[in-house]
Amino acid sequence: MPKAPFNAWLVPAGRLLLLLGLCFLIAGPWVCSIPQLQLLTQFLSLLVIAIMWNLLAGYADIVSVGQHAFVGIGAYAFFGFAVFAGFSPYLALLAGGATALVFAVPVMLIIFRLRAAYLAVGSWVVAETLMLGAGKLTAFGGGSGVSMPVSVVRSLGVQPALRYSHIYWLALAVAAVALATTWLLMRSRIGLGLTAMRDNEEGAGSVGVNLIRSRILCFLWTAPFLGLAGGIITLQKLRVAPPASFSITDWTVYVIFIVVIGGIGSFEGPIIGTVVFFLIRQYLAEIGVWHFIILGMLSIGVIMVEPRGLWGILRRVVPGDLIPVSHRPPARPLAGSDSAPSGTHLKEPHSTPAG
Amino acid sequence: MAGRPAVAPTGNGTLLAVEKLSVFYGQFRALFGVDLEVRAGEIVSIIGANGAGKSSLLKAIVGQVGRTEGRILLEGADLTALPTAEIVGGGVALVPEGRRLFPSLTVEENLHIGWEVGRQGEIGFDEVYRYFPILKERRRQKTRELSGGQQQMVAVGRALLANPRLLLCDEISLGLAPVVINELYEIIPAIRDRGIGIVVVEQDITRSLAVADRFYCLLEGRVNLTGRPQDTTREIVAQHYFGV
Amino acid sequence: MFFSWANQILQGVLVGGLYAMFAMGLSLSVGIMRFVNIAHGDLIVLVSFLILSLTQAFGLDPILAVLITLPLAFLGGYLLQRYLLQRVIGEGVLPIILVTFGLSIIIQNGLLGTYGADTRKVAGGGIETATLMLGKGINVGVLPLAIFVTAMVMVAGLDLLLYRTRMGARIRAVSDDVSSANLVGLPSAHIYAIAMGIVGVTVAISAGFMSVWTNFDPTSGPSRLITAFEAVVLGGLGSLWGTLIGGIVLGVAQTLGAQFDAAWQVLAGHIVFLIIFMLRPQGLFPRN
Ligand SMILES: Nc1ncnc2c1ncn2[C@@H]1O[C@H](COP(=O)(O)OP(=O)(O)OP(=O)(O)O)[C@@H](O)[C@H]1O
Ligand SMILES: [Mg+2]
Repeated sequence: MPKAPFNAWLVPAGRLLLLLGLCFLIAGPWVCSIPQLQLLTQFLSLLVIAIMWNLLAGYADIVSVGQHAFVGIGAYAFFGFAVFAGFSPYLALLAGGATALVFAVPVMLIIFRLRAAYLAVGSWVVAETLMLGAGKLTAFGGGSGVSMPVSVVRSLGVQPALRYSHIYWLALAVAAVALATTWLLMRSRIGLGLTAMRDNEEGAGSVGVNLIRSRILCFLWTAPFLGLAGGIITLQKLRVAPPASFSITDWTVYVIFIVVIGGIGSFEGPIIGTVVFFLIRQYLAEIGVWHFIILGMLSIGVIMVEPRGLWGILRRVVPGDLIPVSHRPPARPLAGSDSAPSGTHLKEPHSTPAG
Repeated sequence: MAGRPAVAPTGNGTLLAVEKLSVFYGQFRALFGVDLEVRAGEIVSIIGANGAGKSSLLKAIVGQVGRTEGRILLEGADLTALPTAEIVGGGVALVPEGRRLFPSLTVEENLHIGWEVGRQGEIGFDEVYRYFPILKERRRQKTRELSGGQQQMVAVGRALLANPRLLLCDEISLGLAPVVINELYEIIPAIRDRGIGIVVVEQDITRSLAVADRFYCLLEGRVNLTGRPQDTTREIVAQHYFGV
Repeated sequence: MFFSWANQILQGVLVGGLYAMFAMGLSLSVGIMRFVNIAHGDLIVLVSFLILSLTQAFGLDPILAVLITLPLAFLGGYLLQRYLLQRVIGEGVLPIILVTFGLSIIIQNGLLGTYGADTRKVAGGGIETATLMLGKGINVGVLPLAIFVTAMVMVAGLDLLLYRTRMGARIRAVSDDVSSANLVGLPSAHIYAIAMGIVGVTVAISAGFMSVWTNFDPTSGPSRLITAFEAVVLGGLGSLWGTLIGGIVLGVAQTLGAQFDAAWQVLAGHIVFLIIFMLRPQGLFPRN
């Protein structure tokens, strides 16, 4: 019997840390000030978007640069249902998610005709078209956007404190559902199939049909969650406008940096990436454009050096996944298996099963 | 080329010396300290079952495997760390397993690539067209439109145009009709007689030993038999080939 | 009425020449290296700013400034491919997309930090406004005409380069099969880098024309990339003449869209692209 490795305690320690983070999030409304709560709400929205982008790019091989479209659609739909149709904000939020899903079908029909390398820009074209289209909606203020009427805002709480904690609870609920169900999806046959496909090119042909179905499912899966995030973001900002609601910088550029730096293709990566992003943003935001340059260089560096990001680096010492996605038992470290010089590219399996 | 083919340019006539060569693919080891020698104007045959490491050996000589140990010397010059372009420019040409032509390029363009990457020398297009007249007729056709045998001729021609001192042929008979194989194998002694050292990799023992001056048998990454075809029997070779 | 429409279409065709120019480099990298460089538009804008600096700081004539940038752009393309992109090529599509994406963000923000967010234009010394009257209300700007002719010459030149020269054959060989190329001793990394250097030259030429004809700012890159991408896909991936046609289709769509309502110009281009793409995903002139 192999002895437990010296660093085995790191896995439970990491899980404890995640649990503490969760407790903190639940306690948020009682322990945080309003600005802090707003920051946490942003954190949760971005986390949802990051998890979704990671599902696409890290598992389903759909490298989209246009996912901000669904955030924008969710934002506009939420606004429309809440303001024009008079839905309650809760219902409008759900309707926004559903609208994003409805839009996802034709978008998918367009971009799935492009092979992987071209799909990225193709999805961008579609997002750009949708954003310009949103700017033609006069009811929504055309190109300059429109603010929420006070009545809708007040329906979530008359006092700001109450309102913000309501929005926060909504964000937390969306994030919890998004993370939990996406985790279940990855542990399902579909998710395991995608992981196996990604980690091992051989036998890729034999599961061709299933692969296409899985990719369709993943793409459609992400849309409603992105739409929900868009609704929450709108609740926070209290207005919609094409360049802000469909912001490529906020909902795609940052998200890609988050996932790449945190670690693409793992469940922990986007979580770590979002935390790190919010930590460094507090300091880097002051240096203006340079924080983009630093983030850009950092992510290029990560791809060159450790494509599995910060979590990939941590995973060299941590002997198992904190949030296991596969049913495989945690890998026993093989001699040198994690530091093989030739092997650190994306296709390499993350945990090395014996054999 | 100054001297007569049979006369060795260096000391004992060794053109290629492979010393204790090991090849690794990640954790997997395909060759275990293989020694091999080829003289100028000599046909050396390498036989072995599927997966024995024959292609790995040839690819290692042209610098196309990830990690190796040991040394590869061409007329005493160490090739081990050189990029493929320099190895080919120095006079080693490979006819790769599976032909590996450039399908959207014409016959002429494919041949031209060989001529460009290789060494200056006496073999020109006329020479290749004399060996394979059909290629002259088809020279403006894309190689993806050729038959398998014609494609193999282009692959051999492309390697010849590099004016190699050492020619490495990896399973040139693969998937071809016997008539075509005969045609290809008739040319090999003619090439040898130019003073070129030739390594022929084949799974077909009979064919391979018939043309060879010497042979090596590989089993699971190790040389387990070597000598001259006439000094051994089919039974002995077969035993070593299958490792029984 | 008819002549007014004919005039609009003619203007659209000429605009298409510029779009085709943007797209040509992208078409090469798609056709040869089989990746989409997300920073393509940003590289065009980067060179435009370089030209701006050369003309403003040293008072150089724009044409001279462009000529100076040509070798620099070749070198830049070569180095970019050889020392950055080559390291992630062949490891799937994800790394190359992410690296060029990061590069795009770095260039945009580097330019913002250096030049500020203002909209710029390079003074062309009168050529911008010169027009040829063809009568009946049809007139042609000298600059757009020069751009269109240059675009045609560039396509023809690239065609010759790829199909009539030794380097072209080498480039096509590496593009056919990189590992075969390596096996027979073609230095594929070097050849790819040369191809990217050629892409750089097309980038510099288009940047030269763009900087005189249209306004640009540090964040103009993505829209150039998108236009270029649409032209490439419309024309059929990897087909240079197709790319030229693709650019023209977009140019005409945009000018006609602007006829209905100026605000629909860009959107009209995208919509026409999406419609044609749905009907003919392989493009108008697919390379076999
Ligand atoms: N690129 C590679 N990566 C990993 N393993 C490899 C690679 N190429 C070859 N191998 C392994 O190395 C061993 C030797 O392969 P090689 O191709 O040299 O055999 P061979 O003797 O040429 O076989 P064949 O007669 O089938 O061509 C095999 O077990 C093969 O699976
Ligand atoms: Mg072989």
